[in-house]
Amino acid sequence: MDSLSCGHGAGGRRLVRPLVLVPVLILGLALLSAVATPHGRAFAAGDPNAKGDAISPVEDFSRELDKLKKSFGELGKKMDDSAKAIEGYTDVEKARKEIEDLRGAVAGLLDAVADNGGLATLGDKALTRARNKLRELEQDTRFKPEERNFLIEQWRKLRDDTERANQELGSARARFAELLRTLQANEDFIEELVQIRQAQKVIDVIHQLTRDIRGASDQLQRLIGGIKPPGA
Amino acid sequence: MRARRVLIPCAAALSLAMLAACTPTDVGYVEIKTVPVATPTATFYLDSVKLEPPKNGTAVLRQRVGTAKLETPAGGGQMAVLCDIVVRKNRITTVTISLLERPPRCQCRNTAVADPQAVRSCIG
Repeated sequence: MDSLSCGHGAGGRRLVRPLVLVPVLILGLALLSAVATPHGRAFAAGDPNAKGDAISPVEDFSRELDKLKKSFGELGKKMDDSAKAIEGYTDVEKARKEIEDLRGAVAGLLDAVADNGGLATLGDKALTRARNKLRELEQDTRFKPEERNFLIEQWRKLRDDTERANQELGSARARFAELLRTLQANEDFIEELVQIRQAQKVIDVIHQLTRDIRGASDQLQRLIGGIKPPGA
Repeated sequence: MRARRVLIPCAAALSLAMLAACTPTDVGYVEIKTVPVATPTATFYLDSVKLEPPKNGTAVLRQRVGTAKLETPAGGGQMAVLCDIVVRKNRITTVTISLLERPPRCQCRNTAVADPQAVRSCIG
């Protein structure tokens, strides 16, 4: 999806591009100032000791300008990243995909505990084995009565534990089935909720970008403020 | 040379068949509820596969995506189709079977077809 906000086509991109041009224009202005400086004015950079030194102000200015260029370069990258992030957050398909992923995750859990799934089949087998074993032992004449009683007791415990485990599996199955049904039934509403969450993220990105631009603007202001004619 | 000419397409076809067999099929889920809770004598078939009697009147089954037939023996070796169940990927289709009626009747949570003459079709 190309748009900045849903349903506005390429308009979003048009909004983002001028943002990217801002640092370029600011940098241009700064460079113009730099070109003008050696002829008419010296860069004092607020350093009183630099007065009368012809080289130092130029070096200071050059250093500050380099810093500014670096900072604008980073800002440009941040703007590009933000534009990409905003495009992602306003993508309705992405919201839909998130719900599908969520449904896939719940389905994966349900898959493990379904009645004809691997876990339930194993549980049934284990229970059948414990029940059969108990039946066999009750008629087994190979052991002394105390041995037989001991073995029967052990298998009874195993049978009860397996029954409990199977019951827990059953309640997990019911829970996951209910969850999946709820996801399906409220799909449209959940999609709207995801879109609201994404719109909030867009605002966060814009706030952060605004802070970064303000920071760069302050930096430029300091650079321009530092340009003073010699002896001023 | 002739044997080679025969063997290569066979090997290719076999490889394709093996590849198709390895591809995971999409699955969805069918929840079958019986009202009242089924007795072990109630028998149902989902796409010709006999189902275990639902525990506590509910069974959740994983099923290949597509339309599956829920059937019950109708006597004389015949099967009566209770309803079609449309299974969609990672979705659950719930159907309640009313055992109070003869033959048992499907009650769909969501129905696909409104035509009363057509076989009831439940969707997820």
